[in-house]
Amino acid sequence: MATAALEIEGLRKSFGGVLAVNGVSLRLEPGRIYGLIGPNGSGKTTLFNCITGLERRDEGRVFFNGQPIDGLKPYQIARQGIGRTFQVIRVFPELTALENLLVVTQGDRAAAMERALELLRFVKLEGLKGEFAGNLSYGQQKLVEFVRMLMRDPSLILLDEPAAGVNRTLLNDLLDAVRRLRDQGKTVLLVEHDMKVVMGLCETVFVLDHGEKIAEGSPGAIQMDERVIEAYFGR
Amino acid sequence: MTRAFLGALGVALAALALYPFFGTGYGVRATLQIFMWIALAGSWNLISGLTGYVSFGHVAFFGAGAYAGAILVAKVGWSWPAASLVGGVAACVLALVIGYPCLRLKGPYFAIAMLGLNEVLRALVSYFEGLTGGGSGLSLPTLDATIPIYYVMGVLAAAVTLLTYLIITSRFGLRLMTIREDEVAAEALGIDTARHKLYAFLLSAAGPGIAGALTARDQGYIEPISVFPLAMTITMIVMVLFGGKGTVWGPVLGAVVLFVSQEFVWARFPYLHQLLFGAIIVAVVLLMPRGVLGILQMKYRLPRTI
Ligand SMILES: Nc1ncnc2c1ncn2[C@@H]1O[C@H](COP(=O)(O)OP(=O)(O)OP(=O)(O)O)[C@@H](O)[C@H]1O
Ligand SMILES: [Mg+2]
Repeated sequence: MATAALEIEGLRKSFGGVLAVNGVSLRLEPGRIYGLIGPNGSGKTTLFNCITGLERRDEGRVFFNGQPIDGLKPYQIARQGIGRTFQVIRVFPELTALENLLVVTQGDRAAAMERALELLRFVKLEGLKGEFAGNLSYGQQKLVEFVRMLMRDPSLILLDEPAAGVNRTLLNDLLDAVRRLRDQGKTVLLVEHDMKVVMGLCETVFVLDHGEKIAEGSPGAIQMDERVIEAYFGR
Repeated sequence: MTRAFLGALGVALAALALYPFFGTGYGVRATLQIFMWIALAGSWNLISGLTGYVSFGHVAFFGAGAYAGAILVAKVGWSWPAASLVGGVAACVLALVIGYPCLRLKGPYFAIAMLGLNEVLRALVSYFEGLTGGGSGLSLPTLDATIPIYYVMGVLAAAVTLLTYLIITSRFGLRLMTIREDEVAAEALGIDTARHKLYAFLLSAAGPGIAGALTARDQGYIEPISVFPLAMTITMIVMVLFGGKGTVWGPVLGAVVLFVSQEFVWARFPYLHQLLFGAIIVAVVLLMPRGVLGILQMKYRLPRTI
């Protein structure tokens, strides 16, 4: 078996009495797009936070390209090649769109500038490069956050509800961009409530409920799964 | 515009350089004080204005530098310029030791920890009487060096301002601002925020350390309450908030305006003085939290280098 892009074994994380992630294991093969779905509060964001080191896991292991990354600091994990966006936008509001991207770079300034401008062009925001990120529309801020995450050229990309609050045209651009990243060999794991987006994009979907993985499979199979239907509509 | 500004800056610097030749003794001393406040406020701006970590005990570095410098001059017989440099180094060492644990603290906890540090240092220098003279203070050999100290303090104020400019226009400076804007996002982007905070803290300690040692030499006598007063930290903070935090010239503007008004206006109304100062703090925080230059910057879309 080839090395997994990401492998999680028995991950557990609780907040006080709340078991946010309860023994989740999953495996992502390189160069594919995966979906992570589940009702509100099922632990999707917490799982992302444990992978990226923002939350300290209680138990379990995380391997990135075969190497353990649990216990590393968030910035170390990011530097290894895991990029993420946040469910609630986290741009740097009083930095310009261009500066939001430039902060990530070191060394050759001209090359950094070129890469940042290229990425802003990629999401059609070049004209707004000098605008404070906080003054951009919600959808534009999401795009800035998305391309900012790409500045380090991560090989694993975690997207927490990329489609929420983005209008149709921007959304299609964003989904196209995600597909192109996959075609470049990157691995993508995305949390999404919009089942249309999940169906159109993901090859494999994981379903969480109350912190546990209750199903895994193709989007079509997942929608027929009894436990999934029960988790969403049952109670 | 830039050329006119640089021209005006050049004229101002030349006038300040020539001032001791025609100024009154009082005028020179007052200007020396303004230089000191520019260096202190500018240094506070480096850590608190850029990273958003509000240091409520920044005068600790001033006091540490003052004691380091004064001990070297009074007990070891060093010359004051060398002792002043060591004052800066001592403040940096203190920043390293204290910054490592304290910069992990967020928001008010960091502010309070810095406040505590200042109180601890004041107690320590009072306790180690043999070295520091304890509560009765430490006298330095008499020497009139006001004019050379004027120049050195002026260079220090200019250096802190230039350093601020260089940082703000660099990607290192932008990374410091990401800590203020959203530290979690900065980490997730691969920015080593702990290291960046520590660097900013070290840079913000050097100026106050040197200024403390210079002030100790200039005044010829120091005691714990004269070099570790909380009021000095508050003055630095108010100067920066008034002028505009996170800008290059905000601390300069704040230092000049507040010092001059304190000296020439409020000194005539000794009882109202404290009240007015308090009122200004409240007014700045409530009405213009960005400060004068911060407001201009937003309104006219000026760069941070103002
Ligand atoms: N920092 C925290 N402190 C305490 N409880 C938390 C914290 N973060 C998450 N939780 C709890 O952990 C559980 C999982 O939350 P999480 O945000 O991971 O869910 P989610 O699947 O991302 O939900 P949503 O679809 O609403 O984004 C919830 O019960 C939540 O209240
Ligand atoms: Mg979530």
